[in-house]
Amino acid sequence: MEALANNFQVLFQGLALGSIYALVALGFVLIIRATNVVNFAQGDFAMLGAYMMVACLVGAGLPYWLSFLLALIGMGVFGILFNYGVYFPLRHRGFLPVLISTLGASIFLQNTVLAIFGAQPKRLDNVIQGGVQIGSVFLDSQYLVILAVTMLMVAFQYFFFEHTLVGKKLQATSQDKDMARLLGIPVALMIAVTFIYSAVLGGLAGVLVGPVLFVSIGMGSIIALKAFAATIIGGFGDVKGAIVGGIFIGVVESFAAYYISVPYKDAYAFMMLFLVLVFRPQGFFGEKVSEKA
Amino acid sequence: MALLELRNVASYYGNVQALRGVSLRVEQGEVVTLLGANGAGKSTALRTISGLLRPASGEIWFEGRPIHDMAAEKIVRLGISHVPEGRRIFPGLTVRENIMLGTSNRGRLPKKQMDEEVARMFEVFPVIKPFGNALGWTLSGGQQQMLAVARGLMARPKLLLLDEPSLGLAPLIVQQLFATIREIHARGTTILLVEQNAHMALSVANRGYVLETGEMRIEGSPKELLGNDEVRAAYLGGHAAATPR
Amino acid sequence: MRSQESSRTTLSPSRRLSAWLLVLIPAAAAVPLIPYATEVSHFAVSMFMQTVTYAIAVLGMVVVLGYAGQINLAQAAFFGFGAYGVALGTVSYGLPFWVSFAMGIGVAAIAGGILGLTTLRLGGHYLAMITISFQQIFDLVAVNWIALTHGPDGIAGIPRPSLFSYELSDDRAYLLLCTLVLYGLIALVWWLPQTRLGRAMRGVRENELAAEVIGVHTLRVKVTAFILCATLGGIGGGLYAGGFAYISPDNFNFTRAVEFLSMVLLGGAQSPFGAVLGTTLLILLPEWLKEMPPSLQFIKDVYLAIYGLAVILIMVFMPEGLWGLLRNGWKKLRSPVPVDTTSIPKLELDIPVTDATPLLKLEGMQKFFGGLRAVDGIDLEVGRGTVHALIGPNGSGKTTMLNVVNGIYKPTGGRIIIDGQDVSQKAPHERAGHGLGRTFQNIRLFPAMSALENVIVGAQRDNNPIEPGRPALRMRAMSALQFVGLADKADAIVRSLPYGHQRLVEIARALAGHPKLLLLDEPAAGLNQTEKMELVELLRRLRSGHGLTIFLIDHDMGLVEKISDRITVLNFGKKIAEGAPQEVLRHPEVIAAYLGEEPANGVA
Repeated sequence: MEALANNFQVLFQGLALGSIYALVALGFVLIIRATNVVNFAQGDFAMLGAYMMVACLVGAGLPYWLSFLLALIGMGVFGILFNYGVYFPLRHRGFLPVLISTLGASIFLQNTVLAIFGAQPKRLDNVIQGGVQIGSVFLDSQYLVILAVTMLMVAFQYFFFEHTLVGKKLQATSQDKDMARLLGIPVALMIAVTFIYSAVLGGLAGVLVGPVLFVSIGMGSIIALKAFAATIIGGFGDVKGAIVGGIFIGVVESFAAYYISVPYKDAYAFMMLFLVLVFRPQGFFGEKVSEKA
Repeated sequence: MALLELRNVASYYGNVQALRGVSLRVEQGEVVTLLGANGAGKSTALRTISGLLRPASGEIWFEGRPIHDMAAEKIVRLGISHVPEGRRIFPGLTVRENIMLGTSNRGRLPKKQMDEEVARMFEVFPVIKPFGNALGWTLSGGQQQMLAVARGLMARPKLLLLDEPSLGLAPLIVQQLFATIREIHARGTTILLVEQNAHMALSVANRGYVLETGEMRIEGSPKELLGNDEVRAAYLGGHAAATPR
Repeated sequence: MRSQESSRTTLSPSRRLSAWLLVLIPAAAAVPLIPYATEVSHFAVSMFMQTVTYAIAVLGMVVVLGYAGQINLAQAAFFGFGAYGVALGTVSYGLPFWVSFAMGIGVAAIAGGILGLTTLRLGGHYLAMITISFQQIFDLVAVNWIALTHGPDGIAGIPRPSLFSYELSDDRAYLLLCTLVLYGLIALVWWLPQTRLGRAMRGVRENELAAEVIGVHTLRVKVTAFILCATLGGIGGGLYAGGFAYISPDNFNFTRAVEFLSMVLLGGAQSPFGAVLGTTLLILLPEWLKEMPPSLQFIKDVYLAIYGLAVILIMVFMPEGLWGLLRNGWKKLRSPVPVDTTSIPKLELDIPVTDATPLLKLEGMQKFFGGLRAVDGIDLEVGRGTVHALIGPNGSGKTTMLNVVNGIYKPTGGRIIIDGQDVSQKAPHERAGHGLGRTFQNIRLFPAMSALENVIVGAQRDNNPIEPGRPALRMRAMSALQFVGLADKADAIVRSLPYGHQRLVEIARALAGHPKLLLLDEPAAGLNQTEKMELVELLRRLRSGHGLTIFLIDHDMGLVEKISDRITVLNFGKKIAEGAPQEVLRHPEVIAAYLGEEPANGVA
């Protein structure tokens, strides 16, 4: 009985952590689809979001919801800057220069935040204190919030992409840029919107995970790597794959940490990644890596 | 004043000079066809007009204003709709969504008007009506071509640029397609048609031009062009041209 | 005219060695001797040591990123393998220094090979992520596997080696050794682009598909580049461990990997000198910042942030790095040396026509893309020593067919037989080794390499019947360039050549491989009338009595008619006619396919 309860507890934590990976992976996939660029600063979006929250909530002493709102708005503005500073000047130069440029952005972000906030990790409080006790299982409120918000965001994204014309225009842009331009769709704006949305998504993940993980300079890198692994495991560039892959990694990681060894917690995702690459390189949902002339 | 006028346009495709001083006119209400063998520069001409390529020299005027420095997104808002070669249907969007995106140059439409216009388009193109909710990539070549033209017409263009609409389509489908093109013209749309299928193209056109290696060779009425040896030579080489059919 | 300013990077190395290297070599030789000559602080020596050992690892980045065009974000891990090899071997297991050193390098190389084999076939994005992941796992293991690695505390007391019974315990002597190793490796990396392997690497970077098609085993080349990179990382790491006597995991984490990357980008990834320059600057920079006046001390705190910003700025404004800037400036100052075209032998193209069997035979060949039947059951024979043209309207499946013949696509069904051998399942580079040459509709050259280098890569295919060795390769390539009339442009960087010349270089590249069968995909596309006439003349020279078989696609019927022995016409992926040019071009079905059917209801 207790074993079952423990397993449930572990599963619950895995789902919540996996949701965070999924949120970051989602932003990551959207950028890949819109620009064919792998954004290595995606994890730092989460880090930045968390620090913006710290600045508003702890630093300026603003109320929780206002801080939350300001952090997300701040991330939106940051998305615009990122688009024009890191991606736009290099958009015609192939994937490698952009990739390296996003790496540069990642270093820049981490160290700028370090210079401002210092190396000491910060604490963020839970949105709601306490949690729910069911028998011997304790469901931490923050984990519940993470799960709920993730579901909300997935639903929102589904609605936005499938049921609005702007969503369709974003999809059209990612499928065929020249054709989109011929129809009069403002492609540059659509890409900017993608960056804004991805930044907000990343920031949201950071704000949510802050109370669980401590807010630190390096928090983004480790989340990002899990999110990368999630996108490959799920199927490169596939939205559904990003969500499923993220949650999958979160759950496997939690169980492996519980049953095998905690220090290597961060290594399991990569081991799964290697296995997937060797045996099913197209991932869960991906098309077979296509032949192209 | 011509609706569209190209004056001595030179254009590069990559590092190849694909147009060498091309001039042409399209008058309001005409169907003009641009003929020539593959690689003659026909598609490049359309891409240059619609702004996907910027001319290296020369001028392009539309309704009395120069458009050769404008971006593609702007040009389509002026009323030039380009249906490019290869159809370029958005594969992951449904047929209906593809059609709806054709209005992207016209600002926001009320939902009711959008629905009405989509319904009207399905009347013009009954072939694709049953597939409204199917994804673009599932259509056959001929259906995709119809969809591409439908999407192009949703822009309410003053000038429709059609690039090789018959490409890869079976003869019967080509006949259907050209019947539709005639109908679109009859409803008042001016068309600049690029075709390799010279017979079909000349059957709907008021005038035609023949391009050869990026240069304008001949201009004339369909009758003149059909009988012209040079036209046949452009497609089939000297030998076939000399042989009566 | 633009070719005038192009580089002369490759011809005789002796010429490159002239002038400035005569200044640089003595200077470089003097540097490691400075500590012997004057009193130098311990700190300066350790900075020097760091620069030298890092630079070796950064040389690895030159090979993998600069030459082969592949990203590696795990160089710190390979560096770490070398360092832990030395540390664990000597301290934990009491092995001699050099044995431990070799083991560390071996492990690094093997790890590089495995990493490369699993991911390099998947390409760019994957490679970036996998190498980062690998780097992270290395870090985790180094920190957590305390029994082996001593964990975060690291390993102290690493001894120095001896060489020929001479103890290198003295800092100056050890530094001298490291510097000499660095110089040796610089020379090696500098020499690499002019070797068979190095040219293949650059070919892969410039255009992977073209490299594969003209006979480069691209996967092997990429994996080799990766192993070389890992090995250099291992050497650097091993020397580092000996130099500092103490290592801990934070010397080998992701930040260090990014540092290595930044160093190579700043200096210039294309050159070993750039790598050393970048490494030196990025190690010295923080020290210079410390010397700044107090009002500017804040820069020290945001140093790493500036560093990240610099990476972005380098990518935007200085893609070739500092060394690239210097080199381009230098090039402008020099006048090019004219190429001697007098002593080039005639291009040997003869293929003995041994029997009457067809050289290329397709049996029921099919290629479907989903529901689209691009090539739908084609039977075709191309006779030895003939010119066979494939024509048909746009979208009829011609290029797809060529892509199946040379292996870019695997056929859905049917067989491809070249010279009696079934090659249906062979990779493109293996088919090139069988004597299959090809050009592309949209030219696929190696744009940043010279015309000669492009053609040499074509000449170095497997089984090319020429004498072994560099001079013969070069001669073969010069002959091929001479054949197309471009011998005087041998040194021109291909990117700077006019389009018509690029076409010819591509043909020369295919000819240099001494093909039995030459596939030409729209050779006349984009050429003006004069150039087309020249092309016809060239193709006529090619077919006159050499026994070379040519299979080509073109839309210019005049050209096709003038040079072909036979024509096959495709429409909707099926053969609709075949025969001598005059017959085929008069065939009503062919005319209908090209000019279109008459409209059913007459002119509207």
